Amino acid sequence: MEKLKDAFDFSDFSKAERICFYIFTVFLFVFPWLGVGSFVKTVMIQFMLFSLFGMGWNTIGGYGGQVELGKAQYVGIGAYTVALMMVWWKVPFWISMPVGVLIALGYSFIIGYPLFRLKGHYFAIATICTSLVLKDIFDNWNLVGAAKGIELPIHEHPDFLYMQFKSDTYYYYFIMALFYIAIFYMNWFRKSKLGFQLRMIKDDEDAAESLGIDIRWCKIKAYSIASAFVAVGGGFMTVYNLYIDPASVMELSLSIKIALMAMLGGAASMWGPIIGAAFLVPLDRFLGSWLGGHKGLSGIDFMIYAMLIMVVSAYQPRGIWGIIEQFRKKGK
Amino acid sequence: MLMFVIDALLQGILIGLLFALVALGLTIIFGVMDIVNFAHGEFLMLGMYAVYWTNYFLGIDPLLALPVSAILGILLGLASYYWLIRYLLRGPAIAQLFGTFGLMLFLQYLAMFLFSADYRMIDKGILVGKSYSIGPFIFDGTKLAAGLLSLLSFALVYYFLYKTKTGKALQATAINKEAATYMGIKTDRMNALAWALGGGTVGIAGGLLVNFYYTYPMVGILFVMIAFACVALGGFGSIKGVFFAGLLIGILVMIFPVFGQLIGSDFIGPHFKFTIVYLAYFIIVVVRPQGLFGWKN
Repeated sequence: MEKLKDAFDFSDFSKAERICFYIFTVFLFVFPWLGVGSFVKTVMIQFMLFSLFGMGWNTIGGYGGQVELGKAQYVGIGAYTVALMMVWWKVPFWISMPVGVLIALGYSFIIGYPLFRLKGHYFAIATICTSLVLKDIFDNWNLVGAAKGIELPIHEHPDFLYMQFKSDTYYYYFIMALFYIAIFYMNWFRKSKLGFQLRMIKDDEDAAESLGIDIRWCKIKAYSIASAFVAVGGGFMTVYNLYIDPASVMELSLSIKIALMAMLGGAASMWGPIIGAAFLVPLDRFLGSWLGGHKGLSGIDFMIYAMLIMVVSAYQPRGIWGIIEQFRKKGK
Repeated sequence: MLMFVIDALLQGILIGLLFALVALGLTIIFGVMDIVNFAHGEFLMLGMYAVYWTNYFLGIDPLLALPVSAILGILLGLASYYWLIRYLLRGPAIAQLFGTFGLMLFLQYLAMFLFSADYRMIDKGILVGKSYSIGPFIFDGTKLAAGLLSLLSFALVYYFLYKTKTGKALQATAINKEAATYMGIKTDRMNALAWALGGGTVGIAGGLLVNFYYTYPMVGILFVMIAFACVALGGFGSIKGVFFAGLLIGILVMIFPVFGQLIGSDFIGPHFKFTIVYLAYFIIVVVRPQGLFGWKN
């Protein structure tokens, strides 16, 4: 009960932050009824999906300070579990998604145990490696569709058991629900014991260890939480796209995007991943569709993206949220 | 069957010499500055394009165009050091990782923008398409040249690092930056030198690779992962280690499909030959983080 109260308690944020959050919530609720086009709606769904991913990454990457670049493998696990269970045994989404999360959790414990013997660069590259190994296996495994991927059987329009809809508005509210569950969870997480332990580990591992914190175990727990988050998002991706292949759910670029959005918005802050996604997803999609239409201009969107990353890492490693906090301190 | 294995071993050694040259720059930069350069593979990719276009427009033989890719690599290394890495050094480690990651993405899509995503292959050149038989084994001329020239370049860099005064200063910086500063070594210059060396060697590797491998904007990521595996196996920052690690990884890549044939498995085949490299990295760093000859912890 106490935990639940913590999750809904936003009182330690500043007044401006809380007002922004409430306005933003109302805005999200009425957004589909503002008469926007379907493309904009897709962008909003993508934004919330990537915020979900980013918040998950933020537990281990932000609060824990571990450079994790292999989240795509858990997106893939979540997505493939939902797809395969649906195709093979006609299992509804509401069962297959939790199963996917459980598999992701189990897998993350198995991988996490050796992985967290490593630190810094070694760790970052190792996470990429594990992700690439899994992608290569799925790329060549005929049982799961290999590189061709899996197509989901189409159900009739409002199917709440398998979560298949014709209209994007249904998906919009569905991902919005997941998005808010994630926000409330993160709000609890940052005040939880594990949250404080992780920040301590990030600041000074030796000091944390001398205080009796089991560093490796803490990191593994945070890593598993992050994996569960992205597995949920992966499950959503399956029912939303109705088609998955290793290239769309397990690609290295997905892992990088997840980490970059959280990092650009401001790692280890509550709003950072959301701000990052709000900034990069529209940039990505609009620039992509605008420039992709002009022949010979493809690639410029990613170049702008990459320059942003370089500038932010060189001048304000704490991201957009870091810039906002800087201004607030000056104002005082 | 034994012939198959020996053939795979020899091919593995040839490609391994090239892997070692690719990884050499990475390990020098890591040793001197403790920075992992994710954009290393993109330096290789641009080196490949440099030779490809010189060959395409000027008709110069790819092997004679090697200086072009070497110079391009050196310039790239210096430019990234002075325009990006110096600023990243002030930030935390996470920012350094993402910074070079950003550079990697930027160069990838710059190449995509300039040269399109097409796969390109060199079709004219003295050695292209030629093969030589030595005893019962047949070698592609391009691979033979790549292996031998890689060995030569590696030896030159090794000589430079261990026998010249500047090379020794570079090593001193790698061992202890502060002490090196007290001895009057300009560490900022040494950092730049490390990047120039790193870029130059990988540029040459790209120029050699282009003879027998497709050139496309995303080619870098595969080779940077291989290079990471070599660097990890050799021990981060170790020059001697990276040489033997390159050979081992090269042999591993070539022998793995043969192994699949031996046990008659369809699943273990050439499509997994790079997966085994990623797996190798993971196992090496977990089981033996200091690598074969590592001295940095």
